Amino acid sequence: MTGSMFDRMLRIDVGEKTSSLWTVPSAVRSYVGGMGYGVKILCDEVDPRIDPLSPENKILLTVGPLTGTSAPMHAQSCIVTKSPLSGTILNSYAGGFLGPEIKFCGLDGIIFEGAGSEWSILLIDDDKVRFESAVDIVGKTTEEAEAYIKETYGSDYRTVSIGPAGEKSVAMAGAFSETRAFGRGGAGAVFGSKRIKAVGVRGSQSVTTEDASLFSKLTAQNMSVLRDARAEEYGLLGIFSKYGTGGGMPLVQGRGALPTKNHTYGSFDGAENIDGPFYEEKFYTRQIACFGCPVHCGRIHKFSGTDGSKLWGRGPEYETMFSLGSNLLNGDPEVLAEANRLTEQYGVDSLTTGVTIAWALEMAEAGKLGVQGLDLKFGSADAVLRLIHMICMREGIGDMLAKGPKQAALELGNDSIGSAMQVKNSGFAAWMPRRMKGTGLAYATSNRGACHKRAPIGAEIAGVLDMESYEGKAAALIETQNTVNAIFTLISCRFHEFATDHEVYPKLLAAATGRTVQWDEMVTLGERIWNLEKLFNLKAGLTRDDDRLPGKCFEPVLGKTSQSSVIEEEKFEAMLDEYYSLRGWDSEGVPGTKKLEELGIADYAM
Amino acid sequence: MGLVIDVGRCTECKRCMIACSLVKSGGVRMSSSRIEIRPNWPETPEIRVCRFEDCAGHPCIESCPVAAISDSDGVVLIDGKACIGCGACVGVCPYQAIKIVSGIALKCDLCGGDPACVKECVTGALQSREVAE
Repeated sequence: MTGSMFDRMLRIDVGEKTSSLWTVPSAVRSYVGGMGYGVKILCDEVDPRIDPLSPENKILLTVGPLTGTSAPMHAQSCIVTKSPLSGTILNSYAGGFLGPEIKFCGLDGIIFEGAGSEWSILLIDDDKVRFESAVDIVGKTTEEAEAYIKETYGSDYRTVSIGPAGEKSVAMAGAFSETRAFGRGGAGAVFGSKRIKAVGVRGSQSVTTEDASLFSKLTAQNMSVLRDARAEEYGLLGIFSKYGTGGGMPLVQGRGALPTKNHTYGSFDGAENIDGPFYEEKFYTRQIACFGCPVHCGRIHKFSGTDGSKLWGRGPEYETMFSLGSNLLNGDPEVLAEANRLTEQYGVDSLTTGVTIAWALEMAEAGKLGVQGLDLKFGSADAVLRLIHMICMREGIGDMLAKGPKQAALELGNDSIGSAMQVKNSGFAAWMPRRMKGTGLAYATSNRGACHKRAPIGAEIAGVLDMESYEGKAAALIETQNTVNAIFTLISCRFHEFATDHEVYPKLLAAATGRTVQWDEMVTLGERIWNLEKLFNLKAGLTRDDDRLPGKCFEPVLGKTSQSSVIEEEKFEAMLDEYYSLRGWDSEGVPGTKKLEELGIADYAM
Repeated sequence: MGLVIDVGRCTECKRCMIACSLVKSGGVRMSSSRIEIRPNWPETPEIRVCRFEDCAGHPCIESCPVAAISDSDGVVLIDGKACIGCGACVGVCPYQAIKIVSGIALKCDLCGGDPACVKECVTGALQSREVAE
């Protein structure tokens, strides 16, 4: 044990119903934790060519050196696995309380291997695992699965579960932890392939730090910075604190970068009825935080369902206000809240699901797709809610849509692929690449497909970087990707960095674990991880073609505030060349020997 | 001395529990905390902690068969050495603020007048009575 890390993980063979404690070897410990552990272990133990839904795939559920400590904004846990949505290596994150509870078990992570023949519930108490039958909750929602565990086995279990979507191998199914979600990339379908319906985690250990007095001082200083940040009315953390992540929607709308009607327009006339301030003022709202977080960007709302029933659920995040809101021309806040709730109940990523639905509606508008008895048009509440149901239950065209936007478009054919707003089959996030060229490059080059977590969004929206320019975007993006990978070894909340100097991270790491690392070494580690992921993807069969944007990006955006923005294909390709070159990769995106040797990962070369 | 609670402001972040467990046990462990936030979604949570000034009659003191519980200038204290862990106080506390851990009754002692939890609460759900008044 080194300070806040226990240096051991729990390996669970779901097929054999056995478990064992695994001492984390020093080669893995050099990756710090969190995403670093996940990527390193998956690359070492899983053949990139496997079927993601086969027993050979593994789920690495990891935490980091600051998880379960008093350091604010380090509540998240990380899942690394091979994604059934994108076919790439996936890293996906959920906040809440699961991560700290894993730490309270005296673990740095849990590895799920193999596949069961029957549906099971896994109950983890410290390092002990119990397998229980899930027969009573198969087919049930994530909320019902969670309630069942708490009522049957104990209210102090923290849970992660899948809904019907995960059971039915919907490519974008998520794994849900008490209304927080490992949303992106289909981790829920991987749990489903292993016949794991739900996991309960309950720990009794204490999390201590190597230098408790220094750690306490650093934490107090960081809390002071965050207190100031959350009190800033126009600062990002201030906005998130006051209105949730949807508080930023008016800003994006004002920049003409709010994707609307399947990315046809850059602003939405109904946006003011579905944004953060609207929900905060018009709905019953409770502000909810993750473990130890002073920003409390989460929301709980009460609202009326379309059938008149009284419902409550987590408030939609900004990304969902786009994916199930503006992008579908859905300006009804109650329909949006209900659709958001439905994705959580069925257990599916609201982002890629919404993007897939938007594509389907555009195809229906063009006469290429239809459903008998259902008016598939933008702005229809019935269409949104029914399609979520059909996707998650794989009914009718839902079976095709459940494969993700690119796969659905390939299946439909008929010149529909250019309108599927995705990269690597993963749906675009809520930021319009034609307006924000660096974000476009981020979507294209992300190792998990169309990712907004590692994009120069803040710099482009704030105007620090000229949104429309291609200049300097490759270099800025690489810095962002490496930096974010570095802080994801600690699983810092992406928002923590908005108010915190990077120098704080190595200081916290040193006080927590006694490990001395400079910030630039952490960034190099971020780059090392990025290259390992890239190599995994190349070995899985991905090519430069998978780093390209869909055809619609090369046509002008419509609408008054978006200035007919367009991505010029030649300039995009030049930007991609520049990106590869700056990364030390060849023109096909293959990392060069020199770069891999420099990063100490030559053994992983193609 | 005492805590004033505005449950409507509680975001359930549990920084109070983190701070309490660090002060009382030297590490972060939720079961070591003497204050407890229990969610009750979608409604406001239950905050379990001693509410001395709101508490009628302080039944815990009367309930203790070995007189291990006393009122020390408005702070209810439990003498861990005298406590026999019978749990009588747990049952009578109207705020469910006492629990048995490792055979001994534990409750908030207001950190001797400067509660660590209050300092961590950013929304003002927990305040010291002196500040609130």
